[in-house]
Amino acid sequence: MSDATTSSAVTKTPKVRFSPQRVWTMAMATVTQLIRMKILAFLVLFCLLAVGAGFAFSVINPEQQLSLLKSVTLGALQIFSIVIGVVSTALLLPKDLEDRTLYTILSKPVPRFDYLLGKLIGVLMLIGGGLIVMDAVLSLILWMRQSLLFDEAVDHLRMEKMDSAEAVTQMREIVARQGLTWNLHWAVWAIFLKATVVTTVALLLSSIASSTLFTIVITFCVTIIGHGEALIREFFFTPNLSGMTGRTAALMLAAICPDLAQFDIVDSVVNGEIVPWAAVLNMTSLAAIYVTVYMFITHLVFAEKEL
Amino acid sequence: MKHKLQALAVLLLFGVVKLPLEQHVTHELRAQGMLQEPIRLGVGEDLGQAGIAASLGGLRGLAACMFQLRAHVEFTYVNWAKVDSLYKLVTRLQPRNSRYWEEAAWHMAYNAASYYLYKEELKPALRGQLYHDHVKRGVAILKEGLRFLPRNPRLWEKLAEIHTKRTYQFKNAGDAYWNAFQNGGLNYTERFAAYAYAQSNDPDSWQKGYAILKRLYDAKKATPGLIEFLKLLEEHLRIPAGQRIPDAAPVRQVPAPEEGPRR
Repeated sequence: MSDATTSSAVTKTPKVRFSPQRVWTMAMATVTQLIRMKILAFLVLFCLLAVGAGFAFSVINPEQQLSLLKSVTLGALQIFSIVIGVVSTALLLPKDLEDRTLYTILSKPVPRFDYLLGKLIGVLMLIGGGLIVMDAVLSLILWMRQSLLFDEAVDHLRMEKMDSAEAVTQMREIVARQGLTWNLHWAVWAIFLKATVVTTVALLLSSIASSTLFTIVITFCVTIIGHGEALIREFFFTPNLSGMTGRTAALMLAAICPDLAQFDIVDSVVNGEIVPWAAVLNMTSLAAIYVTVYMFITHLVFAEKEL
Repeated sequence: MKHKLQALAVLLLFGVVKLPLEQHVTHELRAQGMLQEPIRLGVGEDLGQAGIAASLGGLRGLAACMFQLRAHVEFTYVNWAKVDSLYKLVTRLQPRNSRYWEEAAWHMAYNAASYYLYKEELKPALRGQLYHDHVKRGVAILKEGLRFLPRNPRLWEKLAEIHTKRTYQFKNAGDAYWNAFQNGGLNYTERFAAYAYAQSNDPDSWQKGYAILKRLYDAKKATPGLIEFLKLLEEHLRIPAGQRIPDAAPVRQVPAPEEGPRR
């Protein structure tokens, strides 16, 4: 009887509780690991691109120049955030396995969920930090170009004797709408939210897959389908548009992929639309739901994974 | 295995539950002007839009910029067919950006039209034909843009300018200027609508023009141009002498004709 009790006490593992501090340590270690992989070299490339887009093409009008600067740089931010999110997440788990770091970590009283969350937060911190730096560079260049272009445009109007108060006011409005506003930062926030969802999907796939290439390819496929998910969903919701097979296929595809087009407010921002708080709240809530559910699924898969 | 099945069940269940939520958020974001409404242009066009949306995702703006720059290069080579086709692509990618419609129409109605009009290697009849074809193309581009942006004053104004300066359809020009003013255009678009109506051959348009100019005159917003066109309309409409404005028509300063053949 006493032997049985002793044996039971030995096999029973103590329950380790979730620790934010442990997650933070894991996240910081991930950031360090990614920085050592020289992933942030993209930042330098971005700065060069922003300066180039900001000061090249002086033959086109001020509105075009500012719009071009915003389109090119915000496009580069999207590419940066998604590529870094997918590639770094896809690399992390296999690298930890290869280096045997994963075994060292999990042999300690570290729950697998803490490990996963730490990895996700680490990648997101890197993307977020990069986006903040690039947003600052973009804002600075846009602000400089905005004032220069307005002066140039007014000089041009004066030369053509068209500098009526109305025309100058209109030019000011155009340049101000295309220039530096809070909307630009909301666009960057939307880009971050999209990257967060894609990174979580990459982590989920990485926990299932055995190869990095598989994770990268499938995540990019999900990203592409995710941008057209709204169309697939509307196809499913529109009655009499297709047969049962078509609708079932549409439902499966729409169910598996997140709707990434909901974070595509960049075009509206470039066109000078004002981003309302409700839109920001909608996007943020939706991203939070995706991340929570996908992380839960990742945890279910990873908890059972044989390492 | 048990957890994997649970994970699959959660993924599918969440997938089904999220659809109405996503649909609701999409509609809200569209209502707020943050996301583009799906564009209904016919089956072929719908498929094109779907393909573009899916393949480019949030990079449509960037792609449009790249094609616009390419079109600018073709413009410097005066390759108008290429400019037109590239702008068609640009406006497909960004149909709600009025700037692209404006530029596409400007290239066709002014640059390309003038290029052919003065291209001396071509026979005169062909030059005239190509001129008119390109002006028509410019008008068609703006009208297409106005299907997407019916409340955009700038597009209405550009359409009015083409009708005033190129097609000489003053009634259409007046209507377009009037639409620009009604949709938030600057004050001069109201005056310009009346000026265009005054130059048309349509008595109903004269009445419209007269009503606008008389109202502005009574509101003490008269300019020399306004008085000149008001006088013209008083003549056209045979306004009784007692109801005519007391001002004399401003003397028009006609510049000395330039020497040499007029181009």
